[in-house]
Amino acid sequence: MEIYTKLAYSFLGLMIVLNWGLLMGVTMRKIGARMAGRYGVPFYQPWMNLLKAASVRTTITHGYMYYLGPVFRLTGAVGLFLFMPMIFTGDPDGIWTNFSFQGDLVLILYFQVFGMLGMALGAGEGGHPYSAMGVARGLSQHAAVELPMIIAIFAIAIQFNTFSIYEIVEAQQGGFQNWVIFTNPFAAVAVILAMLGAFRHAPFNLVKAPNEILIGPPTEYEGTYLGFLMSAGSIIHVMEAVLFMNLIFGGAGSWIELIIKSFLIYFWSVFVGMVFPRFKIEQSISWFFKWPLGIAIIGLLMASL
Amino acid sequence: MVIDPIYIVAAALGVSFLIGILGSLGKTFTAVLSLITIAFMTFVSAGWLYAFQFGNQLEQVISTAGFNAPFSISLLMGQNEAFLTTIVNFVGLLGGIYLFNDFVKKGRNAFVVYIVFLMGLNVVIMSRDLFNIFVFIEITSIATAGLILLQDGHRAIGAGFKYMLATSVISSIFLIGIIFIYYYTGTLSIDELVANNNLLGIGGLTAIFLVMVATIIEMKPFPANGWGLDVYDGSHPGLSAVISAASTTASFYVLYKLMGIAGQEWYYYLSVLGALTFIGSNLLGIKQKNAQRLLGYSSIGQMGLLMLILGLRPFLNDKFLFIVASILISHYLAKAGLFWLAGIVKERDINNWSKLRKSPILMVLFGTFIFTLIGFPPFPSFFGKWELIMQLASAQQFNWMAIILIGSFIEGIYLFNWFSNALKHDNSKLSEIKIQWHKFAPPVIFGLLTYALGYFFSTYLEVASAINYIPLLFIVFIALIDFTPAWVKNTISIIGVSIYGLYVFPTLEGDLLRQIFLGIFLGGAVITLFSGYYNKGKRVGFYPMALAMFVGLTMLLTATNLFEILYGWELMTVGSYFLLIRGKKSLPHGYSYLMYSLGGTYLMMFGFALAFASNGYLDISALSNITVYPTLAYSLILLGFMTKTASFGVHTWLPGAHGEAVADIHFMASAILLKAGVFGIIIVLLNMDPNADYTTNIMYVLGWIGAISALVGNTQAVFQESAKKLLAWSSIGQLGYIVFGLAMMSHLGWMAGLFYTVTHFFYKGVLFLIIGGIALKLGTPLMYKMGGLIKKMPLSFIAVLIAIITLAGIPPLIGFGGKWLFYNAILEKGWYLQGALVMFSGVIAFMYLWRLIHTIFLGQLKDNHRNVTELSAWFLIPVYLLLAGIMVTSVKPEWLLEPLGNMIAQYFPDGQILWTDGVGYTEYGKWAGTNVAIIIGGAFMFVLGWLLIATRKAHKIGQFDITYAGERPERPETTHVAYNVFEGLYKAMWIITIPLIETLWTRINNMLRDIAGFTRRIYSGNGQAYMLHIVLFILVSYLVIIGG
Repeated sequence: MEIYTKLAYSFLGLMIVLNWGLLMGVTMRKIGARMAGRYGVPFYQPWMNLLKAASVRTTITHGYMYYLGPVFRLTGAVGLFLFMPMIFTGDPDGIWTNFSFQGDLVLILYFQVFGMLGMALGAGEGGHPYSAMGVARGLSQHAAVELPMIIAIFAIAIQFNTFSIYEIVEAQQGGFQNWVIFTNPFAAVAVILAMLGAFRHAPFNLVKAPNEILIGPPTEYEGTYLGFLMSAGSIIHVMEAVLFMNLIFGGAGSWIELIIKSFLIYFWSVFVGMVFPRFKIEQSISWFFKWPLGIAIIGLLMASL
Repeated sequence: MVIDPIYIVAAALGVSFLIGILGSLGKTFTAVLSLITIAFMTFVSAGWLYAFQFGNQLEQVISTAGFNAPFSISLLMGQNEAFLTTIVNFVGLLGGIYLFNDFVKKGRNAFVVYIVFLMGLNVVIMSRDLFNIFVFIEITSIATAGLILLQDGHRAIGAGFKYMLATSVISSIFLIGIIFIYYYTGTLSIDELVANNNLLGIGGLTAIFLVMVATIIEMKPFPANGWGLDVYDGSHPGLSAVISAASTTASFYVLYKLMGIAGQEWYYYLSVLGALTFIGSNLLGIKQKNAQRLLGYSSIGQMGLLMLILGLRPFLNDKFLFIVASILISHYLAKAGLFWLAGIVKERDINNWSKLRKSPILMVLFGTFIFTLIGFPPFPSFFGKWELIMQLASAQQFNWMAIILIGSFIEGIYLFNWFSNALKHDNSKLSEIKIQWHKFAPPVIFGLLTYALGYFFSTYLEVASAINYIPLLFIVFIALIDFTPAWVKNTISIIGVSIYGLYVFPTLEGDLLRQIFLGIFLGGAVITLFSGYYNKGKRVGFYPMALAMFVGLTMLLTATNLFEILYGWELMTVGSYFLLIRGKKSLPHGYSYLMYSLGGTYLMMFGFALAFASNGYLDISALSNITVYPTLAYSLILLGFMTKTASFGVHTWLPGAHGEAVADIHFMASAILLKAGVFGIIIVLLNMDPNADYTTNIMYVLGWIGAISALVGNTQAVFQESAKKLLAWSSIGQLGYIVFGLAMMSHLGWMAGLFYTVTHFFYKGVLFLIIGGIALKLGTPLMYKMGGLIKKMPLSFIAVLIAIITLAGIPPLIGFGGKWLFYNAILEKGWYLQGALVMFSGVIAFMYLWRLIHTIFLGQLKDNHRNVTELSAWFLIPVYLLLAGIMVTSVKPEWLLEPLGNMIAQYFPDGQILWTDGVGYTEYGKWAGTNVAIIIGGAFMFVLGWLLIATRKAHKIGQFDITYAGERPERPETTHVAYNVFEGLYKAMWIITIPLIETLWTRINNMLRDIAGFTRRIYSGNGQAYMLHIVLFILVSYLVIIGG
C-alpha cells in the first residue's frame, strides 16, 4: 500500500478514536451523574470544551519544557494509536493495523510512558506544587500497576509464544472460547484488575484527585494546551481499552466491535469507581501488590508449567 | 673478591672494645665510627650476596681458631646467609642512622650495645652450631634488653623486664634441649645432626621438642607473645624497627636451620602454630588503636605467616625460597619503614596519624608500606603470595590456602583502617611534623626499595613476564610532575592515554568484545580527563591514580593469563580507591570499598588457584577447564568480580563511595570502573561449560542476584535526597540488569547485557557529568535545595532529558532496545519471575528519573540560585559527544546491535536477531528502530507545529504566576515539591529498603571486634601472666606433639 494512503487511513482512524474517546468519556460522566441523582453534562460537552480551549485568546507559557509537555502527551497518544493494530481482518498489513508492523507489545508498553513523562516534565516547569504531587503519585501507582501487568503479559506471551499483538489477536480468533480470558483466566483477571489502575478511576484516582489537588499534573495548563491534553486523554483511554481488548478479549473484527468492547472495558473501571471510595496512594500500591500480583503469579505459573 | 665473613664479627668486636678504650674521644666520633663499622659489616655481607647473585661464588665454611667443628665455632656463608646478613646489617645501618641522636644522647655504650646486637644476629644467622647459636641468641637478647631501655619511661622499663624474663625462660628451655641433644648424639653441629639423623627415640624427640619450642617462642607465637607485644610497644620506634626487621629475620632463620634436624612431622606442627599466630595476632590487631602496638601485632602476624610457610615447605617445591624471600623482604621493608614513621609522627593513636598528610612524601611512604604489607602489586609480597597460593593449590592444600587468605584479609581490616584514617581523619588540631634528615632518609630508602624489589621479584615470576612497564613508568612520570598545574598534567595524561589506546587497539584485532571494553575504558578516560580541565588548582595526587586505574583496566583486556588479570585488577583497585576517597565524607565508604576489593581479590585468587590446580598452567583458558571443585571455583571468581559490579550482597560500598565522589570521578567510578566487573564476569562465563550442571546452578543464582540488585538498587534510588546517591543506587540497579542478562547464557541475554554495558556508559556518563557538575557548582548534591535550574542551565537540562529518556527505555531512543531485548530474552530463557522483577525495576526507574530531572531543573528556582550560570564547556562538550552517540544509535540501532550480535553469535549462535531493512526480528517479536524513530519524530513535529501555530501569541509569565489555593506563593522553598516526594510509595515498599546486607556486615564486623576485644584481655600486661602463657604454651605443645 502506498504510504500516503496508509497515512490518510491512519489519520481517519485517529479521528474516529478521538471522537469515540470524547463520546465515551462524556457517556461515563453522564452515567456517573445519573448514579448520583444528577442530570449531568450534555453529550456535546467535550466538543464544546475543545472549542472553548482552542478559542481562548490569551495564552501563556512557563518555558519551553512547559510548552513541550502537551506535545509529548499528544504525540504519545498518537504514537500509541499508530503502533496498535486496531481491527483484525486477517491481513497483517491491513488498513487498520496502522504501523504496528514496526514493533510489538513491548514497544507499546514502553511508549505509553512517552507521553506520561513529557507531560510530567512539562507540568513540572509550571512550578505548581500540585503538578509535582500528582506526578509523584501517578508514577508510584503506575509502578504498582505495572508489576502484575508485566507478569500477566509474560503469561500471555508464553501462551502464544509471541510478543506481537497482531499474532496474539490472531490466536484468539474463532469464537469467544478462544479469548485469553477463557484460555488463560488468571493472567486475564490480573490484567482486568491491574487495568483499574491504568484507567485511574476511583479507588485509584488520587493522581488527579479532583477535589484535593485540582486535577493533578495538568493544573497549570489552560487554553490550547488543555485542549491538547484533553484530546490526548481521550485517545489514550480508547487505546488502553483497545490494548486490553487485543490482549484478553480477542481483539475486534470491526469498528463496531471495537467500540462495544472498548466501551465495556472502560466501563468496568467506571463501574468500580462508582462503587468504591478513593484509596490513599500507599493503600492502592499495597492493593496492587496483593490481589493482581498474586493472581498474575498464579497465571504465570500455570502458563509456564 | 669477597671479604672473609669473620671480619663481620671481628670488626664488630674490635670496634666495640676500641670504643671502650677510646671513649674519651667524644660522642660524635664514637657514633660515626660505629656507623662506619656497621657499614663495613653491610659491605662484607653485601659483597657475598653480590658474588652469589652475579658470580659463581661457592658457599664457604669458616672454622674459627683453627679447629674444625665441633671444637670451634663453625660459620657458614651461603647464599641464604649472605642475603640475610645483608638485610640485617643494612637495616642495622639505617636504624643506626635513624637512632643517631638518641644513641649520642645516651653515650658511647649505647653504640657498643647496638653493634654487639647486630653482630649477634649475624652470627645467629651464620652459625652452624647449636650451642653457638644459643650463646649468640643470649648475647642478642641481653643487648636487646639494653637497647629497650634506650627509651625512657615506665613502658620501656616494663617491656625490658618482661623481655628479660621471657628470653631467660626461652634460653633455659633451649639450653636443656641442647644438653639432651648432645647427650643423645654427641654433637651439636647442625650439619652432623642432619647427616646422622639419629634423634629418633623418645628422648631425642624431647630434645628436639625443647629446642624447637624455644625457637618458636622466640618468634612470639600466639598466644604466648604478650611480652613481645610490649617490646614493640614500649621500645623506641627506631629500635622496634630493627627488632621487627632484623631480629625476627634471624629467629626465623634459626627455625629454618633447625627444621633440617627436626623431622618431617614438625612441618605440620609449625604450620598449625604459624596459622594460629597469623590469624590470632591479626584478629587481635583489629581492635588496636595504638599505632606502635598495632605494628607489633602485625609483626607477629607476619612471623606467623612465615612460620606457616616454613611449615608448608613440603608443598612448595622449588618455589619455597622465592616465596619466603618475597614475604620476608616485604615484611622487613614495610615494618621497619612503618616503625620509623611511627618515630617521626610521634602519635600513638592511629587516628592522629592523619598528621602525616602534612608531609605528602611521608604519606606516600606510609601508603607504600601498608600496601606492601597487604600484598598489592607492584610490591614483592604480591608475587610471593600469588606463588604461595598457586603452589598450595597444585598440592591440593586448599584449607591452608583459605587460612592464609582469611588471615591476610583480617590483616587488611586493621591496616586499611589505619591507612584510611590517616588519609581522611581531621588533622587540623595536630602539630606539624618536624623532619630531620637522619630520620627521614631511612624510610625513604626503604620505600624506594619496595618498588625496586617489587620489580626484581616480578622478574622471577614467569607469568609476570608479559607485564608492560611503560605505562607504569608513565604513571611515575606524572607523579613526579605532580607540582605542575592540573591543566598541564591533564593534557599530558590525555595524550598519554590516547597513545596507549592507539597502541593497544590493534593488538586486540578481531576481538570486538575487548575492543568495546577498550573503548569504554580508554574512551571514557579521555572524556573524563577532558572534563578535568575545569579544575583550576593542582589536583595533587589525582592524575597518577586516575592513570593507574586506567592502566589497570586496560591490563584486564590485554591480559593473557590469570596473574595479569589479578595484577591489573589490583592496580585498578588502588587507583580507584584513591580517587573515590577524595570526596569530603568518603572515609568509611572508601574503606569499605577497599575491604570489598581485598576480599574480592582473595576470592578470585582462590578461584584462579583452583584453575591452576586443575590445569597446571595459568593461561586464561585455564578457566575453561576447572575440574577441582568447579562450582566453588567459578562462584568465588564471579563473586570476586561482582564486588566491582556492586551486585546485591557486596554492594554496600557503592552508594556512599560514589555519592561522595566529585563529578568526573563519579563518572569514572560508575560508567567506567564498574564495567571492569562486567568484563571479568564475561571472561568467566565465556569459559564455563554451558552444558555443565554447575553452570546451570551458578547461573540461576547469578540471575537472581542480578534481579534483586536491580530491584533493590532502583528502589533505593527512588528514596534518595542526594542526586549523587540516587545515581549511585541507580548504578547498582543498572549493573543488576547486566548481570542478569549475562547470567541467562543465551544470545539474547548477552545481547541485553552487553547492550546495557555500552549504553549505560553513554547515558550514565551524561548524567554523572551534568549532575556532578551541578552538585559541584551549587555546593550540594541535595536535590531539594535545587529547583528551576532549567532557566539557568538549558543545555544541561536537554542533556539530562535525553539521558533519562534513554535510561527509562522509552522509544524512540536507544534505551528501548535494552527493554525489548530483555523481554525477548526472558521469554526465551523462561526466567519469568526474575525477569518480571527486572522489568519492574525498570518501571521503578521512571520514578527516580523523574525525581532527578524535576527536582533539579523544574519546579521553583531558589533565590540563591538566581545568578547561577550554565555548566562550563569542559563538561558540556564531552556530554554532548556522548549524546551524539545516543542519538546516532537511536536512529540506527542496528549499527550497535548487529555487530554485537555477530560477536555474541561466536559464543551463543542460537536465537540471533535477524535484521532485514532495518527491522530486527526475534522468534517472538520485532523492532524497527529507525522507522519507529521516524514515526514518533513525525508525529511529534506535527503536533508541535500545530501547537506553535495555535499558541503563537503565548507570552512568558513569571515564576510565581501560578494559581495556588487562592494565594500567590512567594517562597520557592515552600512551593517546590521535592523533599520526601515519594512518601506514599515508601509506606508501601519500605521493606525493600531495609539495609539487610549492611546490617549483616556490620554485625560480622562487630562480632570480630568483640572477639578481638575479649581475647586480647589475656594480654594483661602482667609479667607473671606472660611467663605463665609461655609455660602453658610449652606444656600444651608438649602434650600435643610428644603426647602424655
